[in-house]
Amino acid sequence: MNLPNYFLADLPPEATLSPAMIHAACDTLKRNRDKYLLPRPTAAVVKTLCEVANDWLQPDNLFRKLVVEIGPAETGFSSAILEKGLDGFFRRFTPENFQALLEQELGHVQRLDEFTSDRIAGEHRLTMVRGPEFLIHIAAGNLPNPALMSVVLGLLTRSAQFVKCASGAAFIPRLFAHSIYQVDPKLAACLEIAEWRGGNRELEDTLFAHSDCLTATGSDETLAAIHGQLPSKVRMLGYGQRVSFGYVSREVLRDESIAQVITSAADAVIAWDQHGCLSPQVIYVEERGVVESDKFAELLALELAKRETTEPRGKISVEESAIIASRRATYEAIAVHRADAKIWASQNSTAWTVVFEHDVRFQFSCLNRFIYVKPVPDIAAALQGVDEIRGKVSTVGIAAPTEKMKELAVKFAHWGATRICPLQQMQNPPFTWRHDGRPALGDLVTWTDFEL
Amino acid sequence: MLFGCRGKPATNKHRLNKELSNYATRLRELIRQHELFAGEQPWHGQFDELAIELFALQFTNNPAYRKLCEARQLTLQTVQHWKQIPAVPTSAFKELELTSIPAEDYTSVFYSSGTTEQKPSRHFHCPESLAIYEASLWQWFQIRFDHKVEFLFLTPNAKQAPHSSLVHMFDTVRQKFGLPESAFLADLGADGSWVLDFESILKRLELACLLGKPVELLGTAFSFVHLVDCLTEQNRSFQLPEGSRVMETGGYKNRSRSMPKTELHGLITDRLGVPRENILCEYGMSELSSQAYDSEVYLPSAIRHPRVFRFPPWARVQIISPETGKEVADGETGLIRIFDLANVFSVAAIQAEDLGVRRGDGFELIGRAQLAEPRGCSLMTA
Repeated sequence: MNLPNYFLADLPPEATLSPAMIHAACDTLKRNRDKYLLPRPTAAVVKTLCEVANDWLQPDNLFRKLVVEIGPAETGFSSAILEKGLDGFFRRFTPENFQALLEQELGHVQRLDEFTSDRIAGEHRLTMVRGPEFLIHIAAGNLPNPALMSVVLGLLTRSAQFVKCASGAAFIPRLFAHSIYQVDPKLAACLEIAEWRGGNRELEDTLFAHSDCLTATGSDETLAAIHGQLPSKVRMLGYGQRVSFGYVSREVLRDESIAQVITSAADAVIAWDQHGCLSPQVIYVEERGVVESDKFAELLALELAKRETTEPRGKISVEESAIIASRRATYEAIAVHRADAKIWASQNSTAWTVVFEHDVRFQFSCLNRFIYVKPVPDIAAALQGVDEIRGKVSTVGIAAPTEKMKELAVKFAHWGATRICPLQQMQNPPFTWRHDGRPALGDLVTWTDFEL
Repeated sequence: MLFGCRGKPATNKHRLNKELSNYATRLRELIRQHELFAGEQPWHGQFDELAIELFALQFTNNPAYRKLCEARQLTLQTVQHWKQIPAVPTSAFKELELTSIPAEDYTSVFYSSGTTEQKPSRHFHCPESLAIYEASLWQWFQIRFDHKVEFLFLTPNAKQAPHSSLVHMFDTVRQKFGLPESAFLADLGADGSWVLDFESILKRLELACLLGKPVELLGTAFSFVHLVDCLTEQNRSFQLPEGSRVMETGGYKNRSRSMPKTELHGLITDRLGVPRENILCEYGMSELSSQAYDSEVYLPSAIRHPRVFRFPPWARVQIISPETGKEVADGETGLIRIFDLANVFSVAAIQAEDLGVRRGDGFELIGRAQLAEPRGCSLMTA
């Protein structure tokens, strides 16, 4: 990939980052932010971002072509999966969606630009917000969308931004940064992308010293480790590891609606090969539908087989493959001896696996399109099954008629789910999604009240 | 030379299937007669024949195994070669009674270790199955060890740990070499874990150094971590007399911090003064009756790099691609599958969850594949 050297991540692999380089990059970012970003109105930032996204959606876009050509080798996802995932993301970049996000999180579209009236306080108070001066994102693995969305939010808050990717995982954030550069070099000059293996104290201490706010996604231990490294002036927004599951009500398990439900379930499993926090690892299916729960599992297996031909799973390591093979072998042995357990699996590959079992306990999938289907009499049984992951759940995707969906949603909300959506929407959160139940943009800003 | 394949119904007097018993007796004799330094010659043509014969007996007499074979449409008619014999995943030993021994004849059972497991694997035994286990382990062990040297086992003794196949192996060796029971230098903790008796170990090591007599230290990888950690804590290190050796086996099973073998061996060399070439590795598990070692004979120079493990001639190994289920090419990585004829009364073909690199007729051990964090949420990935 022959891209110009605009970002640290563009340096040849043999180049070693030094604290001095990080220090210089941070100083430049701050200067550029003061010059190019702070004076810019929100509407202009939104316009640029919509333009960038629109470019990505064009079939002949250079960056899109690079994703298709070398993305599979760089990220481990097939080009079909990368294209679908990125298209779904960039399609949401519309002025209307930005407006909705700003209004939801800040109460006013121009609150980042000027003092605006406060509806609740009436005429006696004006308010405005400002973002962090220097925002760091510790970006997660290879799944690009969360990192890209973090950059978008940081641009809205006019923050200098430094995106630290895991080593070998900067490919798409880097392309995104270049795509911003192509539309607006000055905006891109307020953004830095670099990659190194987490835990490099020299580089990280230098970086953290420049910052006033940091976002990070990862396991509780990883977040705690980062938190322990931060100077006290840095505010940290940590997104812990989350899992998701699906729930299918018996009313949609009918001949006329089953095809749609199966398509939705397959979409949710296939997207990002199940590597996202929003990917279902288990689908609970109500018993006594016209289509029985084991038939649902069988149909899902057929659909996954079909989709493998058009949206193949990415290449995985021998270790990942070994875990799938071992877990399959276990369930094959169980299924032979227990009538209530079944398994369907791709032949001559580990591309997809469906395990049907009655044990309602939530089971962590080994991912890469390995899905559990568990029959339940009702939502009470499912809630009992997911008790162990309470507080660790991102999304519950439901397939049910509208009225029943509302009933189920109330129960899942009381239980602690932070996002409930139709099964087919699991992997496509709206722009206004409150990440893990928190306002993603709102959490970045600080308010100034001006009392008249 | 096949025995009859169709087992007759067991009578009350002879519950253990007679044909299996005959097979076991014959195999035990073959193992005993095995020419220690004659290579594999006597087994070359015999292995396949013996394996197919055993498959027929196990298919007939082991109902849980037969069901698995039939589900895969692999039967006496379709299996023609030892490589086609259906392998059973080690995890199936947790769920199923994979044995031809009637339940009332069980005299002991070996459990897989690992504190995090809710259900251990179970390998059921009777006197005849133990006899073949002992014959197998002894033949492959004795050519690597010098009985004139003092042995220190870093495990509890057989009375304390009756369900450990490793401890049974050590106890068999101890008896055959005529060693005292005081060679076992660990106790059982309140939670059933193995706790090293540091005081006794240090005394024995001090004495060995004082007398200039070499010792053989045998134990699990996690026990060696405990030992070197204890020595580090006390800021002590030994220079064990020349000829002293270490045999380590197994993984860490969450009982100690984990580390690559080379790092563990480095620590052992630092703290015990045993050079790398005198550290022997064993690969075994409760579901098997034979073990693999990474050295051919007693001679230290026999340890090659990379360390290549080999089972005795009555057990063979295949490295299987987890993706396709087919044997990988030499030098490639896959899951380790073992065909152990000494598993007469359970199942000969065992599919392990460990990864290995195929190296000729042996393998380089990589170890258990760990469940990766979802890529969307992992930070520390290299």
